[in-house]
Amino acid sequence: MIERKFDVIVIGAGLSGLMAAAKAAEQGNRVMVVAKGMGTVGLSSGCVDFWGFELEQPRKVCSYPLQELEKVISTNPGHPFVRVRDVISESIEFFREICEEEGNPYTSNSGGNWLLPTAMGTLRPTFLAPASMAVPSLSEPDKILVANFKELKDFYPRMMINNLRGNGEVKVSSEFTAVTLSVSEGELTTNALAHLLEQQQIRNRVVEQLKPQVSQGSIVLFPPVLGERRNTKVAWDLAAGMGCRVYEVANIPPALPGQRLQKTLLHHLKAQGVEIAMNAEVTGAHVFGNRCKNITVVGTGQARRFSAEVYVLATGSFLGGGLEAEPGRIGEKIFQLPVQGTLETWSSKEFLNREGHPFSRFGIAVNDFLQPVGEDKRVLIENLLVTGANIAGCNYPIEKCGNGVALVTGYKAGKLVKEVGQ
Amino acid sequence: MSTDSPAVDNCLKCSVCVSYCPVAKVTNKYSGPKQHGPDLERFRLENAKTVDPSVAYCSNCKNCDVACPSGVNASSMITRAKGALVARHGAPLRDRLLSRVELLGKVCGLVPGLFNKAGKIKAFRTAAERLFGISRGMPFPLYAKRTFQRLYKGHKPINSKRRVVYYPGCYVTYNAPEVGLALIEVLEKNGVEVIVDQFACCGLPMIANGLLKEAKQKARQNMQKLQAYLDRDLQIVTSCPSCNLTLRHEYHELFTLDPESALRDRVMDVFEYLQMLAEQGELDTEFSKMPLKIGYHQPCHLQAGGFGVPSIPILRLIPGLEVIDLDSGCCGGSGTYAFKQEKYAISQEIGAEIIHAVQELQVNQVLTECGMCKLQIEHVTGTGVCHPIQLVCQAYVSAPDCD
Repeated sequence: MIERKFDVIVIGAGLSGLMAAAKAAEQGNRVMVVAKGMGTVGLSSGCVDFWGFELEQPRKVCSYPLQELEKVISTNPGHPFVRVRDVISESIEFFREICEEEGNPYTSNSGGNWLLPTAMGTLRPTFLAPASMAVPSLSEPDKILVANFKELKDFYPRMMINNLRGNGEVKVSSEFTAVTLSVSEGELTTNALAHLLEQQQIRNRVVEQLKPQVSQGSIVLFPPVLGERRNTKVAWDLAAGMGCRVYEVANIPPALPGQRLQKTLLHHLKAQGVEIAMNAEVTGAHVFGNRCKNITVVGTGQARRFSAEVYVLATGSFLGGGLEAEPGRIGEKIFQLPVQGTLETWSSKEFLNREGHPFSRFGIAVNDFLQPVGEDKRVLIENLLVTGANIAGCNYPIEKCGNGVALVTGYKAGKLVKEVGQ
Repeated sequence: MSTDSPAVDNCLKCSVCVSYCPVAKVTNKYSGPKQHGPDLERFRLENAKTVDPSVAYCSNCKNCDVACPSGVNASSMITRAKGALVARHGAPLRDRLLSRVELLGKVCGLVPGLFNKAGKIKAFRTAAERLFGISRGMPFPLYAKRTFQRLYKGHKPINSKRRVVYYPGCYVTYNAPEVGLALIEVLEKNGVEVIVDQFACCGLPMIANGLLKEAKQKARQNMQKLQAYLDRDLQIVTSCPSCNLTLRHEYHELFTLDPESALRDRVMDVFEYLQMLAEQGELDTEFSKMPLKIGYHQPCHLQAGGFGVPSIPILRLIPGLEVIDLDSGCCGGSGTYAFKQEKYAISQEIGAEIIHAVQELQVNQVLTECGMCKLQIEHVTGTGVCHPIQLVCQAYVSAPDCD
C-alpha cells in the first residue's frame, strides 16, 4: 500500500478544517487536508455567526455577541465555546487577516452583530460578514431597490419587500422598489449568473438598467450572485457604476458568498504549500494505545496509508457526513469515538421548534486541548483534535454560532498541533 | 463511490455539484450534474430510453463526484446515460473519429510532418468543421516524428530489483515521447528499472463520447496484457492522470473488469512513486538550482483521483524553484470536447479563468500532468506548458528542455 507521512493531517474541508490547516501551516508544519466532498462552508450563507440572541431574552438580538459569549461560557459548561474561550479574539483576527489578504474582507458591525436582510425579507443577526453583504443599517436609506434577474429562479423581490416593510428595523417612510433586470436569455443557475457578472459588459448592462431608478442615498439589494471569484470586485464595480451602495442578501444554497469563503481559504492554503486531496475518503484509523498511528485514505478506489504526528477530525456532523445515525445508534465514522448526548429523543416533533432539535447537540466530548474524552474525562486518542460540528453541545441553528464555533475550534486545533504532537 | 442504485437516494439535492460544474456555469445547454445524474437517473432506472440528448454536453471532468459530500457518483450515472444514448441512436462520425486517439496516432504518426502542417491550414480546418463539426479554432496536438516506443528502442535499461511497468498512454506514445523519456531518466536515476511495453488506448476518449462498447474492448486488451505484470507483483506507473483514473476507476466501476481490484491497487502516478522513494529516504535529491517562477495547473482527473497533488512536494525539493498553484479550476479542454464545433465556445469560456490566473500571477511557464490540459492552456494563454516530470528531469541536469 502507498504510504505518505505528514506533520498534520486534517480530515475535512469545511470551515473548521480549513482554519486548522491554515493555523498549522503558519507554524511551519507539513499539512495535508483530506476531504471527501467540498465541505459545507460552500453551502453556508458566507457569514460567520458567533451568537444571535440574548440568553435572557431569546427573541432579542444580542448587540455584542462576544460579550454574550462570556455569559454562555459561565452558564453553559457543555458548550464548545467553553473549550476555546482563550483564543476567541485571536482566531477572529487570524481569520480576518487571511480574508483581507485574499481580497475578500470580513467585518463586524463595530464589534456588534449585523442585522442582514435575507431573501425572505427577514433580518438575520451575524457577527462577521463579507463586505458585499455588510448592510450597515436598513433604517437609514430613503430608497431601497431590490434587484432581481429575469433569468434567476428562487429569488422573489416582492415577497422580500413585503416582509421587510413589516419589520421594525426599517424606516416607515422608506421607498421600496423591485426591479427586474435581464442580462441573458433563458434560465440561469446561480453560478452561471455569477460567472456572467464577472464580465464588464454584463455589469454595464446591469448599471444601465438600474441607474435611472437610483437616487442619492439609495441602496440596491441583490441576490447573492455578485461574482464567482473569491474577491468582492463585482459588488464594488456595480456600486461605483451606479454611485450608490450595493449589497448581496442571504439566500438558500447555492449562494456565492459561502463558495467565495471556501475559495478564499483554499487559495490561501495552496499558497502556503498545504496539499489538498479532494475526493478522498478516510475509511479507517489505526489506533495503538491512545495514539493514532495512521489512517486509511481511499481515493477513487485505491487505499493509501497516511500518517502524521497529529490528526484533526473536522468531518462535521450529519450534513457534513462525520456522524451517522441508524435506528438506536449514532456513531462517529472514522475513529468510532463515542457520541455524546444521544438521548431517548433525537428530534422535536415540530420541525421549526424554537428550542431546536436535540440532534443538533450530538457530538464528541472534548477537553480544553480539543482531544476527545470519554465519560470519565480520560483522553481517548491523544494526538487527535476534534473541531467544528464534530464537537458536542452546540445548538447552532438556534444559537446562531455554527461557523463561529468552526472558526475558533479550527484555529485552536491548528495552534495546538505542536503541543499535542509530542 | 458505490455502484448500486441507492446512490440516487443519497442525493440531498444540495446542488453543490452544480456549483462546481464548469460546463453548467458557462452555458444553459447543460442543466448540470444533479439533473443529468441522480435526478434523471430515477427516470432512466424505470425506462432506459429516457435519456436527454443534452447529456452529451457533459465534459467528463468529474468535478461533480469530487464536490459531492454524500458519495453520489453523478459522473458514472451520466457516463452510462451517454452510453445508452449512443447505443440507441449511434454516435456522430466525428465523435467516433476523435475518440480513436490510438488509431489517429498510428495514422498521423506515419506522416507526422504532413499532418502537423495540414492541421494548421485554415482551408483544411474550415472544411473539417463544415463536414464533420470539428472546431477549426482548437489546434490539433502535434504528432512526434517517432513514437515513444521507437525512441526507446535503442535505450539500454538498467537492471534493478526495483522494477515498475510504465503505461505511457496515447499522448506520450504519439505526441509527447519526451515526457516518457524524462520519466524513464528520472526513475533510472533513482535506481528503478522501467519496463516499456506497447499497450492499447486506456479507452477514456471513447468513454467520454458514450462509446462504451468500444472502450470496454480496449479495457479488456489492457487488462489482459497488464495481468502478466500483476502476476509478477509489479507496480504500474503512469504519467497521465486521465489514463490513471481510467485504469484504476473506470475498469472497475463502469466495466466491472477488475472485480478483485487487482489492477486498481497497483496503478500509481509516477510522482506518488517518487514520493514513496522520498519517504524511504531513497529519492536522489541532488537537484541543480532552478531559479524559476512557474504556475501549476491541477488537471481535473488528478483531483478526482483522490490522492492529492503528489508532484508539488517533489517539485518543492528543487532549490530556487517557485511553484504557484493557478487554482483556477477546470481548463475547459477536456480531451475531445474542445474539438467539437458546438462545444468549442464553451471550452474557451471555461478556460478564461486560466488566462486570468496566468496574467494575475505573471507566470510565463506552466506545469501540468495532463497532455490535453497542456494543449488547452497553451492555446488560451500562449504560455509554454510542460509535464512536471520534465522539470524534475531537467533538475537532474541533463534533460530535454521544456516543449
